[in-house]
Amino acid sequence: MKADAVRGHLDGLLLAVLEPGPLHGYAIIAAVQQRSGGVLELRTGTIYPALNRLERTGLLSSSWQSAGERRRRCYELTDEGRRTLAGERTAWNEFTAAIGSVLNPTPPHGLAT
Amino acid sequence: MTAAAVGADSDSGPAETDPTDPTDPAGPGDTDPAGDPLAAYVADLTAALHGPARAKDRMIEEIRGGLEDTADAHIERGVPRYEAIGAAVREFGTVAELVPSCQEELTVAQARYTARVVALTAPFLIACRYLTGVTAQEPAGSVLSTARLLAAHLSGVAIAATLLAAAALAATGTLSRRPSPPARLPVVVAWTGTTAGASMAVTTLALATAAALATNWPLLACAGALAAASHAVVATSARACRRCARLPVLGAPEPG
Repeated sequence: MKADAVRGHLDGLLLAVLEPGPLHGYAIIAAVQQRSGGVLELRTGTIYPALNRLERTGLLSSSWQSAGERRRRCYELTDEGRRTLAGERTAWNEFTAAIGSVLNPTPPHGLAT
Repeated sequence: MTAAAVGADSDSGPAETDPTDPTDPAGPGDTDPAGDPLAAYVADLTAALHGPARAKDRMIEEIRGGLEDTADAHIERGVPRYEAIGAAVREFGTVAELVPSCQEELTVAQARYTARVVALTAPFLIACRYLTGVTAQEPAGSVLSTARLLAAHLSGVAIAATLLAAAALAATGTLSRRPSPPARLPVVVAWTGTTAGASMAVTTLALATAAALATNWPLLACAGALAAASHAVVATSARACRRCARLPVLGAPEPG
């Protein structure tokens, strides 16, 4: 899937991979790639400003953590972030169901073939 | 990150090498004489981005750490360091690809900083109105009366600036449910700050003049010094905000 198509869903993807627990930037990138089976084409550098934006709007919180000589900023979902993720899931399921029913219509029962 | 991206490293032939390109997978290897390509990438990104120092430093440090983590992951799979960095940079995106989304967030950060500065310092202009009102009761206070009139107008500017700044903070903070603030918001904040800064400069002059004529001049002189300091902080931040607001960001309308 092309980067432009992914961009509109980036916030939902980031919130979803943070649902199990806190992660730092690279682990978030790895989780998105792993969950998508490497299908999503994403300029991974763009997740950092997206994470900053989600924190600014109160959907994530973050803190620096040291690992050896390297410092990493770890992000986790806030309560508002969990509510937003639930809303994103509902909206996505409704959207895919509606599009799916148009693209793959189920033939009515009893219709002659 | 993808297998295809890593695999592309070993597929590139030596005829296509570019020793100056850190993204070239068949570059000069671990003994790169040009120095650390990762540091060069970070330096280019640092030069291209503008915004509050703390927000910018944090973003750059995170991106650098992410690049190092990505390169390390490739190195653990047996990819030579220079090629691993090239692969990491390709996955992250070039500096030109990254700048619009990073700058968008830094521009919002600068607008929020400027709005905070205005919201904290503009009410000082209202206090100056009270101050000049008290001193204007003194005899032979025609100049002081003028200062009082001026302060009344400037306090109106201060109230408007404070309200606009508070609205900007609300529109870009946790109260906002929009993923991105209105595109013109940084410009509005920048000119709000510029107006507040200019008002503070006029206030400084008015207070200095009043201090020269009033009997309780030390109070007015102190207020004038504070107004001058406020002007310096607000004007500097507003200038930085105007600069950020002019930079291209992700999703901005095409010029023309």
